[in-house]
Amino acid sequence: MTDPYSQPRFIPNIALRSASSAELPLFGPRLARLGVQRPDGSPPLEVYTPALITATSRGVVPHLSRDHVRTTQAIRWVHVPFESLYALRVTPHAWELYVAACNPDAVVALSDTPFTPHPHSQKRLTKSIERSAIWLLETLKAQKKGAIPVAEDTDIPQGRHSNVFVHMAGGGSAQARTAFSQSMLEPLETRELEQLKPLQRLDDGVAGYIFDLVPLHQALSAKERTAPSIPDESHNAMNTITPRAEDSSHTSPELQNLLKASLHDLPPHKPRLVNSARSPHEILRLIRDVGIDLFDGHWAQRAADIGVALDFCFPAPAHSAEPRKSGILGPRRRDDGANDLGHNLYNAAYAHDHSRLASCYLDTVSSQKNADSAVSPSAGLRICPCAACSPVAPSAYITHSSVDKLSYTDEMGPPESKRYLPPFTRSYIHHLLHTHEMSAHSLLVMHNLSVMDAFFAGVRSVLESPSGGDTFGEKVDEFVQMYDESMVVFDEATVDWAEVERARGKGRMAREKIKQAESSLGRALDL
Amino acid sequence: MEFEVLARCHTTRARVSRMKLAHGVTMLPTFMPVATQAAIKGLTAQQVEALGITLILNNTYHLNLRPGTEVLKEAGGAHQFQGWRRNLLTDSGGFQLVSLNKFTKITEEGALFESPFTGEPTMLTPEESISIQHAIGSDIMMQLDDVGKFSHSLLHTLTTGPRVGEAMWRTIRWLDRCIEFHEKSGRSHQNLFAIVQGGIDSVLRDQCLNEMIKRKDRVAGYAIGGLSGGEEKDVFWRIIKQCADRLPADRPRYSMGIGFAEDLLVCVALGVDMADCVFPTRTARFGVALTFSGPINLRLGKHAADLQPIDGTCPCPTCSDGTSRAMLHHIITLETAGAHALTQHNIVFEARVMGGAREAIMNGNFPDYLKTFFANYFGDAGYPEWCVNALRSVGVDLLEDRPDTKVISGDGTVWEYSDRA
Repeated sequence: MTDPYSQPRFIPNIALRSASSAELPLFGPRLARLGVQRPDGSPPLEVYTPALITATSRGVVPHLSRDHVRTTQAIRWVHVPFESLYALRVTPHAWELYVAACNPDAVVALSDTPFTPHPHSQKRLTKSIERSAIWLLETLKAQKKGAIPVAEDTDIPQGRHSNVFVHMAGGGSAQARTAFSQSMLEPLETRELEQLKPLQRLDDGVAGYIFDLVPLHQALSAKERTAPSIPDESHNAMNTITPRAEDSSHTSPELQNLLKASLHDLPPHKPRLVNSARSPHEILRLIRDVGIDLFDGHWAQRAADIGVALDFCFPAPAHSAEPRKSGILGPRRRDDGANDLGHNLYNAAYAHDHSRLASCYLDTVSSQKNADSAVSPSAGLRICPCAACSPVAPSAYITHSSVDKLSYTDEMGPPESKRYLPPFTRSYIHHLLHTHEMSAHSLLVMHNLSVMDAFFAGVRSVLESPSGGDTFGEKVDEFVQMYDESMVVFDEATVDWAEVERARGKGRMAREKIKQAESSLGRALDL
Repeated sequence: MEFEVLARCHTTRARVSRMKLAHGVTMLPTFMPVATQAAIKGLTAQQVEALGITLILNNTYHLNLRPGTEVLKEAGGAHQFQGWRRNLLTDSGGFQLVSLNKFTKITEEGALFESPFTGEPTMLTPEESISIQHAIGSDIMMQLDDVGKFSHSLLHTLTTGPRVGEAMWRTIRWLDRCIEFHEKSGRSHQNLFAIVQGGIDSVLRDQCLNEMIKRKDRVAGYAIGGLSGGEEKDVFWRIIKQCADRLPADRPRYSMGIGFAEDLLVCVALGVDMADCVFPTRTARFGVALTFSGPINLRLGKHAADLQPIDGTCPCPTCSDGTSRAMLHHIITLETAGAHALTQHNIVFEARVMGGAREAIMNGNFPDYLKTFFANYFGDAGYPEWCVNALRSVGVDLLEDRPDTKVISGDGTVWEYSDRA
């Protein structure tokens, strides 16, 4: 295979390389390194996959100021949906202008996903596939216009270039999905061949594939609803505010078949991104059975919105149900023996719980203390590096007058090396949640993204082991057994969250927010 | 507390001091951001510390309701609870009691109110207030004061009438009870401030000052209370001046509830060392960025395509990261991150106003600093007459070199916060 970096700039300069000598499998767990060569000549950005992409809203990571974004190690890639930046009717041409203005590392081609209720007619599906293919063609043409060949006498390439990711169209029909993929592989017609030179097929210009799980889950449950034996539970009152739109808690084989129908004929070496996976369980299955490389953080970020501090790890610990030796309580164990994926910090039980957020990760100060003592009570735990569990004393202070230095003498001054401070506690965040303080969500977002980042690191380390694939399958089974996939703790947190919003939020605005919360991250401000 | 005056302005009453408390040194004059519920809204303690802030305020009334003293004691005090390593000041809870509860009744014993949780009658005595502040562990505690009658229709305390005199005398008696209780506790690392009351009646203020100055050896500092509640600005500055002139030079002076930049600088010129207000952080959440050329409302359409930062010379994380006005316009009031960005900026703005004052006082050019500030901040919009009068009273004539400057009578410029434009 030729080195993608050395290709003319119009060819995707994003490369997924297998972490081992083996080729990337079509389906099945994939351990790889994703590199993006920026046209400005800076060293390639690299992400080890499977990995996390942070979701954004209106161009920001919800609840995080820029300094927090920069200090959160878990945030390496962000996904900025254009529709959140522009509340307009989008045409392929307008979209082209937006891309030119934003100059991102990778862009997603517009796709035509029907937004009317499922199921869709054959005609609508056909239209959707055709239109998505045409829009992809337009996007590639625009990319070609924007991409100016690298000048030979300079190190700095001129012009902009973006990698095009494409939404895999076809809705809930496996045949339609296969048809869309095949249309990307058909030889281009003469005129387009000339316009898109050197591309031979649409797929040659595509850097990677995207799957939005929300419409797929909707399509599948619409199918279920048409079957008379399954009761319709979508109209119960809680459904309007639960974080999960539909009730089927498992990643069905049907869903996986839809993803596989899209990928089956396409080259295996391009990255695959899934948006809005509903649980770490679903993520693990999609890694194991389909071979998805990237996942957005929507689920974990939504958890932060509703006051849930994530507390799980992969591989699952052997005995997480018991309080750890360090005295820190793990998440609640349900009657069926499964553990919660996190803590609903609204719960009154946390008012007096002064421990760090997660039981299965250490805070840095505790780990430093452990290192000093002969017998470490919680040896083997990873450190959670987030600003909630491992806050760092400022390395510099803004001084506002020349006498301010008197405030920064001795131990109060800027530390010579990184100085960690004790973790923020469950009791503090419980307090912030009940007093409707925004800082609660800032801390939880950073923590939850860090837990997800550690989760993916755990996935990769299992895959790295010599017996990678087999061990991974076992560890997935253990994880599924250990942690509650029905996520009762999310339902409970949502109820508590809605209660505080009603009591503390401002009237109608607050009730509107609750209605809308389903579809969006973050929350509106109360002033 | 160690309190040392390092420099005095040769013209005005302004001074620079070093105040050492249990959690480090705070340089005065300073502005204290308000962390009502043990958090500056949206930020973490480390973020606030990085802004160069060394003293913040928590509200006793709120922390007593949530999380409550039991939780605070378990956590080892409010510093530990919120992760704040530097100095902390708490109010007494008295003002919130009357402003947030319509049925609070003041008796000689204390303030009787309905518990917001149980509805049961609850009494906040001076001793109880200090006891709560002991659980909080604040470096500076305020005495419980009788703020008099609160008008819920006018949203401020009434500053005239017989109730004002009664409240002033009761405040002195309550100060004695706070002193007794605090001294017996042995918590000498915490410092008690007295609050001068007396409304806008200069005779009552003098009587209150007489009594409180007598107790100087048993209090660490003085606050000027009962103001910034809707009285005319021309009355406000005269009362501040009267109090600051008479309060002992070797004690810090704290003007409660002051936050507009022009108010801060006038108070500093009159001899005030500390001030607090929710204004800079609250106005941030409404989309208003404070600058040395006056506040700007980022919700206005004219900022939608402006790729400049709020202030290119500002060292705050928002401006130094190059966050554009257009970006802030796009997210403000919609994303919490927009509020965080402006909160960081506005806190730094207030700190720069006060830091600039410290620098100028040290360098002996504070009058020039005042003149430059007013010229940039109000420019052609006109100077508030009360500021001109107040600064003339301490020897600075803002109009000296600019006789044509418009002077606005009344309470001064009303900033345009319209959504149109």
